[in-house]
Amino acid sequence: MHELSMADAMVKTILDAAEKNQAEKILEATIEIGKLTMLNPDQLKFLLEVLTEDTLLEDSEIHIEEIPVEIECKSCDYKGLTNVDDSDHYLIIVKCPQCGERDLKVTSGRECNVKNIKIEKSD
Amino acid sequence: MHKIAEVEIQHDIMVANKKLAKRNQKILDKSNVFAVDVLGAIGSGKTSLIETLIKKMNLKIGVIAGDVISKFDANRFEQYKVPVVGLNTGKECHLDAHLVEHALEDLPLEKIDLLFIENVGNLICPVDFDLGSHIRMVVVSVSEGDDTVEKHPLIFKDSDLVVINKVDIAEAVDADEEKMASDARMLNPDAIVIKSSLKTEKGVDEIINVIENFMNG
Repeated sequence: MHELSMADAMVKTILDAAEKNQAEKILEATIEIGKLTMLNPDQLKFLLEVLTEDTLLEDSEIHIEEIPVEIECKSCDYKGLTNVDDSDHYLIIVKCPQCGERDLKVTSGRECNVKNIKIEKSD
Repeated sequence: MHKIAEVEIQHDIMVANKKLAKRNQKILDKSNVFAVDVLGAIGSGKTSLIETLIKKMNLKIGVIAGDVISKFDANRFEQYKVPVVGLNTGKECHLDAHLVEHALEDLPLEKIDLLFIENVGNLICPVDFDLGSHIRMVVVSVSEGDDTVEKHPLIFKDSDLVVINKVDIAEAVDADEEKMASDARMLNPDAIVIKSSLKTEKGVDEIINVIENFMNG
């Protein structure tokens, strides 16, 4: 369960950026989470709510966007999105959607990115 | 007057850890230290395997022993008179590159050829955190159940060496070690999969050979 430390790092990153930009209010913040990270979005959301109490982020809208999984196939050189099938949790990392081979590299889907914030500031 | 502004941040927490991990590897390379991140669940046999390797490998070995709160593992390694740093993660379920960076400061790297970094017992959280090691070795024991590999795909996808441990008791715990090995191969065709028992020393020489081959590039 490392959602707490990740949420903490995200909150700090956002508050730092807000301070640097002299924000008086943070209206929105967007976070991108790769589908393959070992983070549970619901737990993350809950912890973000707890950690943002009494901060500039308290009443902000926090969007969590999911980044899909992309792979590179070493057999057929396919590059791009993979099959996503929630009923088969590891299909996405074991099978190329083009040739069906198993020797592939995950190139996207493991991010934990604080993307942007919308702030209110004085002129 | 107030205005509304959008601020691009694009700060990836994982990338921040990865950068630190790369820095750790540079520090290790500078002193010619080869590092192995040792992963696996609680009770899989990580500590016992490292102890066996310390005894059997003819190399100068050091250990970073990660644990949530205790120093038990670190104390076990100290009896072999090898350099050891115990790392307590407190509430955290994994080691990260930042913790390892500090542990490296406390190790006599010039006196170490091979460094084992024993991660916290967990098959899930450590996956997201590179430490700067040269290879990842995951230890899974048959007593965890022979569906453990397929239930934790990412850690096996990410490891260079998979050790299926305690195969001497597979029958007693009704586990099919061959299924575990083939699941690991299916998830990661590049990984080397070894079935072992530290009681009978089955597979130990093979593990040593594999680590030495990785060390020699």
